[in-house]
Amino acid sequence: MDLRPRLTLAMIIYIARRLTQGVVVLLAVSLICFIIFRYAGDPVVTLAGRYATLQEREMVRKAFGLDRPFYIQYTRFIANAAQGNFGKSFVSRVPAFGLIIERFPATVELATSAIFISFVLGVGLGVLVSLKPYALRNRFIMAGSLFNISMPTFLTGILLIMVFAVYLKVLPPFGRGETVTIGFWRTGFLTWSGITHLILPAFTLGMYQLAVLLRLTRAGMREVLTEEYIKTAWAKGLPPMKVIFKHALRNALIPVVTMTGLQFGELIAFSIITETIFQWPGMGNLLLTSIYESDQPVIVTYIMLAALIILSLNIIVDILYAYLNPKIRYD
Amino acid sequence: MKRISVLLLLGIFMGTLLSLTGQAIGASSIVVAVDTPPRTMNPHGSDADANLSVMANFFEGLLQRKAPEGNLFPALAVRYEHPDLLTWKLYLRKGVRFHNGNPFTAEDVKFSFERLSNPDVSEFINTGKSIASIDIVDDYTVVIKTKDPIPWFANNLHQIYMMDKESTEARDPGEAEVKPIGTGAYKLVEWVKGSYVKMKANEDYWEGPPLIKNVELRPITESSTRFAALASAQVELVSGVPVELYEKVLENPKLDVITRPARRSIFLALGNKPGSPWKDIRVRKAMYMAINEDEIIEKIMRGHAAPAAQVPDPPTIGYNPEIKRLAYNPELARKLLKEAGYERGFEITLSGPNDRYVQDEKIAEAVAKYLAKVGIKAKLDVKPKSIFFPQVARGELEFYLIGWFDGTFDMGRTYFKLAHSRDAVRGFGGLNGTNFSDPTIDTLLEPTGSIVDREKRKKVLQDLNKMAMMDKIVWIPLHYQQDIYAVQKGKGIKFQPRPDRWIVFKEISK
Amino acid sequence: MTKRFFKSEILHNFFHDPSALVGSFLLVVSILAAIFAPLIAPQNPYDLEKVSLEHFLKPPIWMEGGEGPFLLGTDDQGRGILSTILYGCRTSMTVGFGVVLIAGTFGVTMGLLAGYYGGLLDSLTMRLADTFFSFSTTLMAILMLGLFKERGVLVVIIAICIADWVRYARTMRGSVLEVKEEVYIMAAKATGSGDFRLLLRHLLPNAIPPIFVVIAVDLAVVIMLEATLSFLGVGVPLTEPSLGMMISIGKDYVYAGMWWLVVFPGAALVLLVVGINLFADWLREELNPKIQR
Repeated sequence: MDLRPRLTLAMIIYIARRLTQGVVVLLAVSLICFIIFRYAGDPVVTLAGRYATLQEREMVRKAFGLDRPFYIQYTRFIANAAQGNFGKSFVSRVPAFGLIIERFPATVELATSAIFISFVLGVGLGVLVSLKPYALRNRFIMAGSLFNISMPTFLTGILLIMVFAVYLKVLPPFGRGETVTIGFWRTGFLTWSGITHLILPAFTLGMYQLAVLLRLTRAGMREVLTEEYIKTAWAKGLPPMKVIFKHALRNALIPVVTMTGLQFGELIAFSIITETIFQWPGMGNLLLTSIYESDQPVIVTYIMLAALIILSLNIIVDILYAYLNPKIRYD
Repeated sequence: MKRISVLLLLGIFMGTLLSLTGQAIGASSIVVAVDTPPRTMNPHGSDADANLSVMANFFEGLLQRKAPEGNLFPALAVRYEHPDLLTWKLYLRKGVRFHNGNPFTAEDVKFSFERLSNPDVSEFINTGKSIASIDIVDDYTVVIKTKDPIPWFANNLHQIYMMDKESTEARDPGEAEVKPIGTGAYKLVEWVKGSYVKMKANEDYWEGPPLIKNVELRPITESSTRFAALASAQVELVSGVPVELYEKVLENPKLDVITRPARRSIFLALGNKPGSPWKDIRVRKAMYMAINEDEIIEKIMRGHAAPAAQVPDPPTIGYNPEIKRLAYNPELARKLLKEAGYERGFEITLSGPNDRYVQDEKIAEAVAKYLAKVGIKAKLDVKPKSIFFPQVARGELEFYLIGWFDGTFDMGRTYFKLAHSRDAVRGFGGLNGTNFSDPTIDTLLEPTGSIVDREKRKKVLQDLNKMAMMDKIVWIPLHYQQDIYAVQKGKGIKFQPRPDRWIVFKEISK
Repeated sequence: MTKRFFKSEILHNFFHDPSALVGSFLLVVSILAAIFAPLIAPQNPYDLEKVSLEHFLKPPIWMEGGEGPFLLGTDDQGRGILSTILYGCRTSMTVGFGVVLIAGTFGVTMGLLAGYYGGLLDSLTMRLADTFFSFSTTLMAILMLGLFKERGVLVVIIAICIADWVRYARTMRGSVLEVKEEVYIMAAKATGSGDFRLLLRHLLPNAIPPIFVVIAVDLAVVIMLEATLSFLGVGVPLTEPSLGMMISIGKDYVYAGMWWLVVFPGAALVLLVVGINLFADWLREELNPKIQR
């Protein structure tokens, strides 16, 4: 049987369909945002100033197009969004898209560090536990993992701050520290202060799925370790490290990786919480501030951007999955 | 053995971290934490004090206010004349240059004042629209005529910042929102939103170069984080020390605390819906007397407030020392309610912001409790200021907590905004969220615009104030907030707080 | 399979599994605390007439300055921590069970219909479910509450349900597809009973067991989510009790050394969720024939 991946007609149709679906979902998302918009707070006072008269407020309403009918505001938004123009922030009067993109590097660095931590610890501990499930140490790890999934991210963050910043005073509790700009990318990876500031938030964000990864790895390993070919490998006297990592883990990791790819929305959500607790100057922190200030252009841009990222990742994961696995039904 | 070396390594690691979290700050530099981030670098883009405070370092008005009393001094204008009720003639300072090297002239003044009326870039529309004409007499003389007499016009000139006409028109409008070009004592180095604003001294500043050469301003909205930054010596000066951590700051031998009575008063605005129980003056008095303001100050404000009996504060024209608070007296309050026919009480919704004033939502919560004890069921409805203030402006709330501070030091403007009947055409009562309307007050207030004589003006406004507070109970005053700052000791930082809570770095030395 | 659930074998396993016992103990205690909060709490922290600033920021009773009846101390409005925790559990439970009920009913129905009828209905439902799933319940709830201006328990429930039903729908559909082909259902169909009867009488009871695990897991997730939302200030309003809100108030006092304002509500929240998770773990292993115990 030939299992090499091929780009068949069915495959192309599948990709095209997934892309169309993606666009439809994006349009739906933007429409929902706008419908709820109409019933939300009035930004006119913020824009016109506290001392503005009623007449002046009306003038501002017109200047920002807030007096136009719903569908006109909406179509204008879509037309602009297609050109990368998502409207101006009510609060800071600069393009909302720019505001968010400016904060993109901070969030990406936090999120990748968190994924790295949760992956290394989660998979590492998962393997450890699966080898001797009933050892005392591993029972402790499993009990710890239970506490880990039962501890909401915000509480993890506060407790870490209490211990490491308030009582031990060894790690900074907020902000990003010194940063270095390379081209358009502002990075905190290259300074010592940047790295110390990263530790607590990265751990906090990493914790939310550490236990999930641990459990998935453990379950996967336990299943794989009972398979014939692993038993054969042990019997052949291959070095244990090779058996565990090369043969067993590779297969056990497939669900772990798929899970990570598909649960990207979770990562974004938990980054909002983490960034707020640590005052991390990323997109999530901006979103929450904008929610408090009812800065709707920023909220909508954030939602659209998050939707775009999540949908693209999903489609990529799906297509790769279909590409690598020719037996899948394209439905 | 292995364990010991691991512990050793861990110890070294922690030690390094410890030594690196508190970085040394240079002698001519200062790192300051404030509670609210700037929203824009456009000097007209926000009328919030948090923003004006930052802008005061890059830009200047025609006049300036100086610490500690906030009195007016010349800035970009050396003097002004006020020949008639509508005319202001200003003589500009010569030889001043913007950060980009352009000279400051009358053209820039005209441009800046006209820019105020553009809602796309300005929150000072009200000021902009009050101006009838701006005439350039020569390069250094400007005549401004207002539409109506505005006695407090000059009092406002310190926060109307002058922009460079040439570069502002040439640049992309978006750039003016992020890259300030002013005449101020500092130039912007870098603004990373949500993290910091860095500025450096303007060596060509007309008053002479400022003493502090490098400034880093860090907005930290979370109060406990602000404290943490101070305690770990990451910042040297903090504005807005949280009251709940005040004792902690006092206990810390490395910190100095500076407090000053703030000018902002906090009060409750009572609605005027016809037929509602609180339209009855007895009920209004009862609600006033039901509130134990001393306990609020002691427990919620931790002593960092002074009781208020009126909206304006002592330095404001119109402040009346004869007005006294109605004393806390729940029994009398219940009696008054009984008299008014509300023995069983009534229901009312108490609104308020939860992110604006010191302990705002906690004060509202406490008020609801006091009212409950005389039988009035106050439903609490606190929300972010972005939702709350528009509701006030639209007059939708029946009872709310709000604060007021008039940068002009004149009660006239306060009353035109808060107490005059709503009048969209003439622009009165824009923040009269309770829809208060009283012909006596309106007729007394309207002619005050033309009274220029300071003593006469003071007298009229004082009488007006007394009538509103004591006869009509337009508002229930609570207290004046206190501003609390903390600085690192032993660094030689000389800092005097200002009444408007701005932090102007040229006034600080080290 | 439903019958098997009630067989003594399972009950036997339950009583011999310490984690299941601990878990259900914690769960039962929390549910009782929530139901009987008004009876057992020393004070009603949300009765404005009873709460007074006089008793503000008292430490727990065994510490210096502590006083009765405030066993675990008070917060900055004079509310007893213990009482507020008990009332907070009520909100947690209301939101938890509210979401399970609404999202569960909707999700199970959608999964049942999609799995049974297949075709367009199935692909539409599942496409929608996939989208919501990848956005995640947490993100959807934060974004929805960001756009809504109303605040309250019901609003929180709705915001969570918007994406949460997907968990039920996906599991239910999978389960239906598994049991659908079973012979007796075919037989039932052959004797001419209607679709509705078939769905309700045969398919639903046989396909539902995996949903029990989903309910248990979901309850834990939703309770944590409610606390998170209230902590962030977009959940229940200040006037309603919530463990998340308590922690949010308490965090401002952490630096002042008043650890009880965070530690007690935090511990209550974690114990509650641990209990549910322990129970869920036991249930999962019990209902999953693949894992040998």
